[in-house]
This record gives sequence, C-alpha cells and structure tokens, in this order.
Amino acid sequence: MVADAGAKTGGGLADRGSPDPSVGRPDCRRPPSHGRLPEGRLPPGPTCRVDLSQPLEFSFLGRPVTGFAGDTVASALYASGVRIFGRSLKYHRPRGLYSMEGESSNTLMAIDKVPNECAETTELKAGMSVRAQNVRGDPQTDRFAFIDRFDRMMPAGFYYRLFHRPYRLWPLFQNGLRRMAGTGVLDPRRGLEEGIRGEGGIRVEGGIEVEGARMGSDVRAERYLNAEVAIVGGGAAGMSAALAAAERGLRVCLFERRPWLGGHLVWRVRDFEGEPLHRRAEKLAVRLRAAENVKVFTSSPVTGVWGENLVTGFTSGAEGDLFRECHWECRAKTVVVAAGCMERPLVFNHNDRPGVMQVGAVWRLARTYAVLPGGVAIFSVGDDLSLEAAADLADLGVKIRAVADAREAVRQDAALVTALEERGIPVLAGWAASRVMGRKQVKGCELGALKGEASRRFGCDLVVANAGMQPRIGALATVGARLAYCGHTHTYQPVELPGGVFAAGSMTGLRDPRAIEASGRLAGERAVESCGGSAPGPDESLPEPAPGCDIRHGPDIGRGAKAFVDFDEDGTYKNVVESAAQGFDVPELAKRFGGFGLGPGQYRVAGQNLAMIMADLRGDPVETATPTTVRPPLVPPSLATLAGPGHDVHKRTPLHGELAARGAIFRRAGPWLRPRYFSEDTSCRKEIRNVRRNVGILDSSPLGKFRIFGPDALKALQRVYISDMRKAPRGHCKYSAMCNDMGQLVDDGVVIREGENEYYFTTSSGRAGSTVEWFRYHTRYDRWDYNLVNLTDVLGSLNIAGPNARRVLERVTDDEVSNEVLPYLGCRRITVADGVEARCLRLGFVGELSFELHVPSSYCQFVWDLVVEAGADFGIRPFGLEAQYCLRAEKGHVIIGAESEARVTLTDIGMGWLWDCGDTAAKKVGAPALRACEKQPGRMRLVGFRVDEGSGSPRDGAVVVDGAKIVGYVCTTRRSEALGWQYGMAMVREGVAVRGGRTHIRQEETPGRGESCSATVVPTPFYDPGGRRLRA
Amino acid sequence: MRLRRLWRPTPLKRHYDVIIIGGGVHGLATAYYLSRDFGITDVAVLESQYLGFGGSGRNTAIVRANQRTPENVRLYDEGLKLWRVLTDELDFNLMFFNCGSLLLGHSEASVGAFRMAASTHNFMGVHSELLDPRQCAEVIPGLDISDRPAFPIHAGLYHPPGGIVRHDAVVWGLAKGAAAHGVHIHQGCEVRGIDTDRGRVTGVRTSLGDIGCNRLGIMAGGYSSAIAAMLGIELPIHPLTIQAMVTHPLKPFLHHVFSSTAYHVYANQTLKGEIATGAHMDPQVNYTTDATAYYLKHQAEALVDLMPALRGVRFMRIWAGLADMTPDMAPIMEGHLGYDGLFLDAGWGYFGFKSGPVAGKYMAEYMATGERPEILEAFQLKRFLENRYSGETAAVMKYGHWD
Ligand SMILES: Cc1cc2nc3c(=O)[nH]c(=O)nc-3n(C[C@H](O)[C@H](O)[C@H](O)COP(=O)(O)OP(=O)(O)OC[C@H]3O[C@@H](n4cnc5c(N)ncnc54)[C@H](O)[C@@H]3O)c2cc1C
Repeated sequence: MVADAGAKTGGGLADRGSPDPSVGRPDCRRPPSHGRLPEGRLPPGPTCRVDLSQPLEFSFLGRPVTGFAGDTVASALYASGVRIFGRSLKYHRPRGLYSMEGESSNTLMAIDKVPNECAETTELKAGMSVRAQNVRGDPQTDRFAFIDRFDRMMPAGFYYRLFHRPYRLWPLFQNGLRRMAGTGVLDPRRGLEEGIRGEGGIRVEGGIEVEGARMGSDVRAERYLNAEVAIVGGGAAGMSAALAAAERGLRVCLFERRPWLGGHLVWRVRDFEGEPLHRRAEKLAVRLRAAENVKVFTSSPVTGVWGENLVTGFTSGAEGDLFRECHWECRAKTVVVAAGCMERPLVFNHNDRPGVMQVGAVWRLARTYAVLPGGVAIFSVGDDLSLEAAADLADLGVKIRAVADAREAVRQDAALVTALEERGIPVLAGWAASRVMGRKQVKGCELGALKGEASRRFGCDLVVANAGMQPRIGALATVGARLAYCGHTHTYQPVELPGGVFAAGSMTGLRDPRAIEASGRLAGERAVESCGGSAPGPDESLPEPAPGCDIRHGPDIGRGAKAFVDFDEDGTYKNVVESAAQGFDVPELAKRFGGFGLGPGQYRVAGQNLAMIMADLRGDPVETATPTTVRPPLVPPSLATLAGPGHDVHKRTPLHGELAARGAIFRRAGPWLRPRYFSEDTSCRKEIRNVRRNVGILDSSPLGKFRIFGPDALKALQRVYISDMRKAPRGHCKYSAMCNDMGQLVDDGVVIREGENEYYFTTSSGRAGSTVEWFRYHTRYDRWDYNLVNLTDVLGSLNIAGPNARRVLERVTDDEVSNEVLPYLGCRRITVADGVEARCLRLGFVGELSFELHVPSSYCQFVWDLVVEAGADFGIRPFGLEAQYCLRAEKGHVIIGAESEARVTLTDIGMGWLWDCGDTAAKKVGAPALRACEKQPGRMRLVGFRVDEGSGSPRDGAVVVDGAKIVGYVCTTRRSEALGWQYGMAMVREGVAVRGGRTHIRQEETPGRGESCSATVVPTPFYDPGGRRLRA
Repeated sequence: MRLRRLWRPTPLKRHYDVIIIGGGVHGLATAYYLSRDFGITDVAVLESQYLGFGGSGRNTAIVRANQRTPENVRLYDEGLKLWRVLTDELDFNLMFFNCGSLLLGHSEASVGAFRMAASTHNFMGVHSELLDPRQCAEVIPGLDISDRPAFPIHAGLYHPPGGIVRHDAVVWGLAKGAAAHGVHIHQGCEVRGIDTDRGRVTGVRTSLGDIGCNRLGIMAGGYSSAIAAMLGIELPIHPLTIQAMVTHPLKPFLHHVFSSTAYHVYANQTLKGEIATGAHMDPQVNYTTDATAYYLKHQAEALVDLMPALRGVRFMRIWAGLADMTPDMAPIMEGHLGYDGLFLDAGWGYFGFKSGPVAGKYMAEYMATGERPEILEAFQLKRFLENRYSGETAAVMKYGHWD
C-alpha cells in the first residue's frame, strides 16, 4: 500500500517541478531536433502536449515506427500514417480512430502482448510492441474481410436460429463461432513462470529480460482515501467545485482521467473574455494546485461511484511513481460529478469507416498531439462546439468542404456560422451525413437533407461526425441517480440525486464557460452545506443549458449499407429493426438479443441512440425511452490493478519460524497457517508412532481461548453449551459442545471454572473468530452482565502427548503434575522454568497421556525450547495436523466438518450424551431441535467401521452402498499401525448403522475404475476403548 | 430469413386456469410443459418487468450435475440432458457449450469431499473424475498449481458433462415454445396480491387488474418468499444479492468452467470470448441487487491468484441478481401449500438456472395431476420443519446474522 503522505498531489503526479503537465503544458513548442517537421505533424501550437524534439521508437506489427514524448499510442500511429487499427468482431470490417477516448473496441490493441489495451488513451513509451487485433494476416488485407458481404445471412439473433440442426453438427459450428468471437489474444501460460507477480508491491526480479523494463515495474499499489468532497472530473466545473469547497476548509479529492486538468478547454484556443479558453483552464488549474486541502489525481479514471458515496478508480503511474498502476477507493461524504460530455455517435451508412471520427478526436489530434488529421474533411455535427472545431481546424490547414448541422439554423450560434462562412465553408442546417464512400479509408461522403430529398456528394479523406453531445452519466447512474430524458438538451439528465451527490458542468447541458464554472462553484457550495457548513446563495444569472440535437440517424439509413449503432459487436441499425420485429423492442431486451452495448464500449456508444431509435420503432414518444442500465466499471480496470500487491492474510502462530525450520509443511487451516506434515510421508507413520509409543509435541496455538466473567457468565455458558455447565467443578476441564438452532454441532471444547463467576474455555480453532458474536447474539435479549475476552492470539498453546509426556513435563516444572494432583481432565496452573506461568490442561484428544500448556504467546518459543530440550533424551518430535487427525480418529473423536455435516444433529453423531435436557429454563441453543429429532426415524448416523481384511482399502469419501442405492459415505478412514487394521467412521442411513452389520463400500474416482470392499460396523473408540492410556 | 415475433402479444384475459408468477426459466418451463405435455393451455405467465429480468437473465449459465447427494444428482442430471432435447424441440439454439467443469479443491479435506462426489456420481452413471493438481493443469493450462497462490490447488473434481448455456436463449426459447402452445405471456404485469376463498386460490391482483385462476404457481425467483408472504406463508428463504462480471472479450483460451470454493469464484469463457465470473453472495440479506466495488476487487484477487495470465485482462461490466437461499442449499418444490391450488418452486439460490427446465417439467406434472412426482419428494418444505436437511451442502450455512 502506498502511504498517504499528505502530499498535495496524489496518484500519478508526484510534485516534480515545473512545468507541471497537469497544470499548464510541458514546454512542447520546442522544434523537432533536426529542424524539420516530422511527416504527418503540424507545427506545435500553444495547446500542444507532444514534444517533437523527443522521438520514441516503438513497433507496429513488428515494423519500426517513431512517435514522440506525449503521444498516445493511437496519435503516434495515426501520425505515422496508420489508418486501420484493427478489424471488427463479426464482419471483420476495417476500423480506425474514432473518439480518442477509448469508447469502443475499434482501437483496442495488443500492447506488449497484453490484449485489449486502449491505444487511444495509452501513453506511448519507447520500445512498445503494438499489434492489431481480430486480424487474420495483415489489417489492410484481412483474410476474413469477405464476411462483410454475408450480413444478410446474419440478422439480429441469427445464431439462435442456425447451427443446431442436426444437433450433432452443433459442436462443429460452436467451435467455429468461438474462434470467430473475442478480440484480444491471451496466452494462458503467461505469468506462470516465476516473476510476474509482484510481492508486497515490489516485483520479484526473476530475470524476465524478455519483457524489458515495463514488466520490471509491474507494481500495483493500492490506496484508501477519504474526503469530504470527492470530485469526478477535473474540467472547469470540477476545478471550480473543488476550489469552492476547499475555500471553506473541506478536504477535497479530485479525480481526472486525463493526464492533465482542464477538460475540454485545454485544446480550445477561442478567445473568451480576452484570453484563449485554454489559458482560462490553466489559470484555474494553477489556483487549484495552490489551494489547501485539495488532492488532485490525474491519469485517474473513476471506475464507479457506489453506494454510500464510495468512489473507486485507478491511477496510471507516471515517471517517478513507484507503481505502474494504483487502485484507490475514496470514501467521501459528498460527491460532485462533473464528468463532462462525450459526443453522441451519429448513426449513418458506413459510419465505421476508418477516417470517420468524432469532432473531439480530430480536434485533439491537431491541437493536443500536433497531428494533421486529414487533408479534406466533411463535417456532420449537431452542436456549436463542433462548429468552433471546424473553424479552428480550417485555420490549421484542414480543407473543410462543408459542415452539415443536424439542427435547424435557428439553434446554431450565429457567430460561429459566420466564422465558418468567412472561411468559405458552407453550413448546411438540417442536413446530416448519409453515406461514406471508400472501404479501407474514407474517400468521400454524401450529405443529405433530413427533410426532403436533397443530397450532395463530396470527395474527402476525413468525415467528422457526431449527433451532438451526451453527458457522461455513468457516475451518476451507478450511484443511483434517477435520470430522465430532457426535451430541451435531448439528453438524459438527473432528476433525482442521492444524498450528498451533485452534478455540475457541461454534463448538465451548459455550454458557456462562465456558466460551467458557476455550476461547479454551486455544486461545491452545496457540498459544503451537506457537510454542515454554510455557503453563499446562488451566483449571478448566467446562460442556461443550450438546446440540444435530437437526430436519430442520417438520411437514407440502412439502404444497401451498414449503419452502426454499436461498433463492438457490429450492431447495425438494421439489426435494431430486426430485433424489434422479433419482439425485442425495449432496449434492455434488444441489447441482449442483438448485442448492443455488450462489448468494450458498453452503454457509452450505443446507449442513448438505441433508446431513441427503439422508441421511434415502437412509435412511442422519445421521452418514454429508457436506455439500458449503466453498469460499472465506467472505465475497465485491469485485474492486476484491482488485485493489488497480493496480501496473504493468514495468521501465523508464535512458533511459525521454529516449525518452518523443523521442516514443517504448512497448510491453510481456517485463518491460520499450520504444519500439516513434518516429512514427505503424508501418512505420518513416524509422527504417529512417536506419540503412541513415546512423546510428541504439537503447536496447538490456534485453539480458541476465552475468558468469561461477570455475574451472568454462567447463564451465558448455560445458554450456548449443550451440557449443564453448573456442573463444571473448579480445577477440572468440562468437555462440552455448542449446537446451532438445528441441533447441529458447531463447536466443542472444554470449560474450566477458575473462580467465582469466572471461567476459561477453549473452542475449536476454526470457530474462535465467531465465538464472541455467537455468545452475544444468543444472549441479546437477556441484558446479562458478563464480559467475554478472546485470548486466542494472546496465549499460545503446546500439546505434549504420549506415554512419556509426564516425564518430559516434570523436567521443566517444579510443580507436581502427577496423576493424583493432575488427573485426566484436570487443570492447574504451573510454573515452567523459573517464572513462566502456564495453564496446564490434562486432555486426551489424541488418546494418550497428554498435557496442554497455555502460555503467553511471547513465551511460546521459550517454553517450546525448554520442552524440546527436556524431551530430547526421549526422542520427542513435533507432530502436525495430519498425525493429530489420525490419532484422534483412532479414538473416535469427532472433528467438526469431518464427521459432522448439515444433515446430522449432535445426537446423530453419537454425542447426544453431552446434552443435558434437565435445565430447560436455560433455553439452550439447539435443545428444541435435539428433542424434536431424538426419536425421529430414518436419520443419518455416524458409525465406526472396520474394513474387512483383504477386501480392499477405501479412502475418505468412498460411498456406502446398499444394492443400487447410496446409503452413506465414509468420513474418515485410515489404516492404523496401532490397531493393525483399517478403521473408519461413516455417515450412514439408519438401517446401516447396526453394530456388527456388514456394509458395502465403493469408491470410483474415475469412471469405470471403481473399487469395492466390505466393512463391519464396530463401536468406537477403536483404540484403547477403556481409555486407560489417557488416564495413565 | 423470415423474422417473426418469438411470442405473440396476447390479450389479457380475466381468468386463466393456471397462472404462473414469474417470467424466468422456471415459470416459463412450467408453462411450456403444462401446455405441451398436459394439454393445459389456458395458462398465463405474469412477469412484472420483462422476460428474464430476474436471475434467469443475470446468471453465469453454468450447468452441471455434480451435486453432493443422490437426490440432487438425479434431478440435475436429468436437467443436464434436457438442453439438447429442448434445443431441438424449441427449434431455438440454446448454445449448450458442453465444455465440462472443473471444481478446484484447496485442502486435504476437499480431496475426501471430491472423492465422495465422484463416487456418488459415477455410481449413478454421471461422469466425474477426481484429479490431482497436475491433471488439473492439463485440463486447464494456465492454472497456477504451485504453492504461490494464497490457497494452493490440491485437487480437482472434473465433470465433463457440464458446461454453459446461453441463458437468455433459454428464456426466449421457452417463451417461444410456450406461446406456440397457446400460453399467454404478459410482461409488465406485477402481482400485488393473491385472492383465496375457503382454502382455495382464486386469483391474483396485478398492476393490470385482477385476474382469476384455479391454480397458481409462485415461481418468482428471489421474490418468491415476498409473494408467499402475501398469504402469510413464511418460507425459510434468505434473499441475498449475488454478483457476476465479465471481462473484455478474448479469443478462446479457457475451454472449461472452473470454480473454487476457497476463493468463492467461478469462471468460464463465453462463446463471445468474455471471461464470465461469479462471486460469493453479499454477507447480509438484501433485495438491492446493487453491485459493489468490493466484489470487483475480490474477484480480481482470486482470479489472478488462480490464473496469473488474467492479470492483463480488464473487467468490462459487473451486475448483480438475487439468490434465494434456503438453509440447505436445495430448492423448495411444493404443492397445495396452505391453500388448494397453490404451488411453489423457489429457493434455487445461485444454482437454479441449470435446473430450470427439469424443475418446470415436474412442476407441470405436479400442477396438472395434483400428485407430487416421486423425484420431487426430497424437496418438500416440511424437511425444514422436521430438521431433515437435504445435505446438498455439507457445511452448516449461515446467511446474514446468526440464525
Ligand atoms: C449472478 C448470478 C449468477 C448465477 N449463476 C448461476 C449459474 O451459473 N448456474 C445456475 O444454475 N444458476 C445460476 N444462478 C441462479 C439462477 O439464475 C436462478 O436460480 C434462476 O434463474 C431462477 O429462475 P427463476 O425462473 O426461478 O427466477 P427468476 O429468473 O428470478 O424469475 C423470476 C421473475 O419473477 C418476476 N417477478 C418477481 N415478482 C413478481 C411479481 N410480484 N409479479 C410478477 N412477476 C414477478 C421477476 O421480475 C423475475 O423476472 C445465478 C444467479 C445469479 C443472480
């Protein structure tokens, strides 16, 4: 985890001197090193973020390409002339740059063998190896491109109607379909060789030279923040909100997905109130950086705003960061969502051809990345920002033949229209693109009037298209805002926000920069109010949201051409119509049936268009259209980043190091890491023999250990324990069990009365963590006065077991531990060596003379050393869980989960003798169920059995059969050296559980390779039935 | 290809012989078999939202028959064999991908549990195999069988007959089949009350008005206990939100379903190439179906531990549905539940997709004849009153608070 050092900048941006790229720009106006402009580049302007003096070499399809510092992979490829970035899923159509925001799978590429990386947003690094996806052969000449001609055979949902007759051919088709589906290629064996997984946040250097430096820094961090105001989006509104809240002393975290602040102002050079817009953003950013209480996270997309205002996301590490990516979660009192807008894709014929791009993509290529987007362009747009872009791009040298604007002339900003006309660009109001010419690249475009028949064709190499703006509603939708269609902006707008959530900025429909900032300030002030502060009244009146554009699609839709509503799964307008025709006429059904918004672009590309088109097809007013549900994550995080550095949360006992040094083989047991074996021999013969004949030592520290005291302690014990705890004498271990309401065994252990209203008790190790809650829950209505302290981690425990156990113990204590003073089930305090106080419990789980020493954890090692030294002469040796498991099974002692299960009660497993039905006033948990089941016929029972010699050797889990019926199963079975035969315990139907009865056991781990054997039901314990050894 | 509506819009009648509440696989399958096998065609399926709104449209579509006890194996095995039959009958490709499933065990104890399962299955003629870790990695290359993962792999229970099915297709196909036999399907029709008269069910009150009926089936998935509660019937069902998610689509590399109880994770690669993966249920009882950030992270931790190659893969979508959990993780299929003519098929938790058609088949028989089919004996409500759990889970389940 990365410590939250309280630095003002967070995440991807350690303060690393000026110029801070998140505020202004790096100095990018430096000329290219060799003096000439590189091919495909524009002279860097004031908003440029690429340093043309710093070339970066990388490869595309194995061929060398040069980009520059500040490029994304996509901008560098585009500048170098690449137009086809990949092929589409179904039709293998060529696809290229579209939004520069990574909204669809068009520009997902394999980067350094990692599939589905977003070329549009991934920062270029030297040495990257980039490949196109879903391509057979070369992306230019993809061998599967012919599929595009067979679309008539593939209407929406075609795969449900094809391929299944005759059924035997289906597997063949299925495999074909599988191979066609999916985009990125993943090698499942990647990462299996040591090295990829970082440990504790730092990668283990394992000689992975192949992957170079990038893999070398594959460190994923995680960070947990809290804030009074979390702000989603670092545009003008977000920054203004942050400033307003911070000025009133609130702690603010602001998250921005791009590497810099400023939103859509940063590439705009238009003059506003005497300065270019990008300057305005830069000034806000400078103020924000200087503000107290604000942490700014750039390169930090928000993946979701969840219940209780939890904001999550990740930060891409920049140079100087100690991580490659950092997952963070910010628990915020209030959230301001100022996520801005994206362009609504325009649905028209061949709207997916490489060279059809959204306005922002083209504009940013030119203004941010100094890339010449094209020579001759046609615009088909639906908002003023796009008109501004057209004028600006014309100034940068792009020849714009015409601008079609889907809106009526009255809705346009007259000044912008004039500006375009001044540049000789005709503006066609009420027109839109109807068709693109050219296959692998745009060669021309047809524009048509939305009403009437007029149309015009133009030659061009770039079609810049959108259907106006739509807000990035993701964060609002996932946090539970109610959204409704707004007939003025023609977008979905929040009509009801959850507590402490506010929306601001251009996503609310505002376009005027002052109004956007004011809405941000207002949201910040509302946040202050909901945090308990006071804030000034509303600002001066400013321009209202601008009217939006409600175009559904271009003219002549679907006529002999594909018009895409969804790029990821090649969902066309025609497919929407087909879905509706088959009864899937609401977006949520059509989405699943026709595949709209199920791919990497999710709801972002198809969402609003699908809802609007569907409403039209149904003949309903557009206001009634409900788009598909927005599902997080809003930006896809990688599993590595979500997983983080990989914490191993298992507990280790105080003797872990010692046991490891003695060759213990550890296993996870509940929350603990415990030795299961002490040699490669998993039958543990030597460990077992040593306990039976000599003496062994077990680290039993995970055992649950508790102290309960107070006037009502006994009542609480009476409630949860099934025995009569009033009968627990002092200095004596009373063995008992806990049941749940169904009478099932949930815990067992011993209870020791240590004083007036004072008890010490043990639980099974797996149960220790739940014990306090269990007591409290079952006494919750009684207002009893007792204290319950969990000592499990405070006290360690050593079990010395075997015929020589007493002799070993006598060597380490001066206290008397004879059978008279400390008989079986006795308990007393003794002093080990010269001063370690220990509780010494004389128990017999493994069936031999045995002592359990409970000592403070910090003394465990000391006591262990003493005991082991004292036992050296006898050949004391540690034993592990498997040996213990066998030893106790020979005694017929039950382990919860091994010889108990949901079908059986305490009585069914032969422990009914523990139940004291006398004290009904205690309302013992489980007693009613035990009573109800006591005489019930047909219950399952736990029985002991002896495998008939020579008939076979079943293993745990073999089933007990009676003719053609399964009547039970083997819980545990082992061959015992001490007994000389194979014993076991089985859970069987009542009729089988007759002493002396013969049973048939069958095990078939692999079909056809079954083994059978017979066994006889015998009483338990198998070993030392009289219990003489543990009383020795 | 001629495109027709899969099911015709039909007028809402004021009375039906049989009303089924819930347009999920269970309700639709019951309606389908009622109309096809028993000639009972005066049937309406009432769905408050749209078909498949509930678990049936949200599940991870894993189908298998490797249950724990013979009673369950028998039912699920028959269910598993229905996919190809139904594909043919409905003339609708349900896209049964018979890829087999591999359940991973992470302890010595799991080996015993798997041996019991395999022995039970094979004894009953259902193919299962106990695998060691190396064999697991042979079945699914990419599994990390070293001791690096927090829970190293100890064993596998491989079950070749299992696989995945396109869940939406099942819903639509059954709707198509039922409608073809005359069943009325009404979407956007929410049941808000149930009418009874002298111990008999007589009809339902809905958002579209009152509708009479002779027999009523509650098959409303996670909402069933709330509907039974309209008649004061309390069911031992805990509704819990359960989440699932998919990654970006990838070319096929995972050719089986795998799951792990220690990690609370199951995953498969859909025919579209996404890794679909499901998580454990929310710890507390709730009806929200809200996805949580916690499970996104938890799931990633589990998956990259089990299969390190998934590190570079990205999650694309997370969603949630309801799991109606009974204390023994087996369903309740009951007839004449307190009232004549009242039937219930619920408590299917997160395992009721695979059994939808077969449950519908026998519920149809039950509703048509009034006699409980023998195969449903093990799934009566009274087992909870008698404290006879079905043993479908060995562990003692705990949902929400102690109970
Ligand atoms: C995330 C997730 C993953 C799962 N994975 C699997 C899996 O891999 N394999 C598997 O076998 N199972 C799985 N399941 C479980 C499975 O989805 C369900 O058990 C199954 O779909 C239940 O089907 P159903 O028809 O009984 O209920 P549902 O599909 O839930 O249908 C019930 C319908 O009733 C409607 N309804 C509710 N109240 C009313 C009312 N008052 N009036 C009218 N209609 C109403 C609902 O809108 C809903 O459409 C999963 C479940 C989830 C949530």
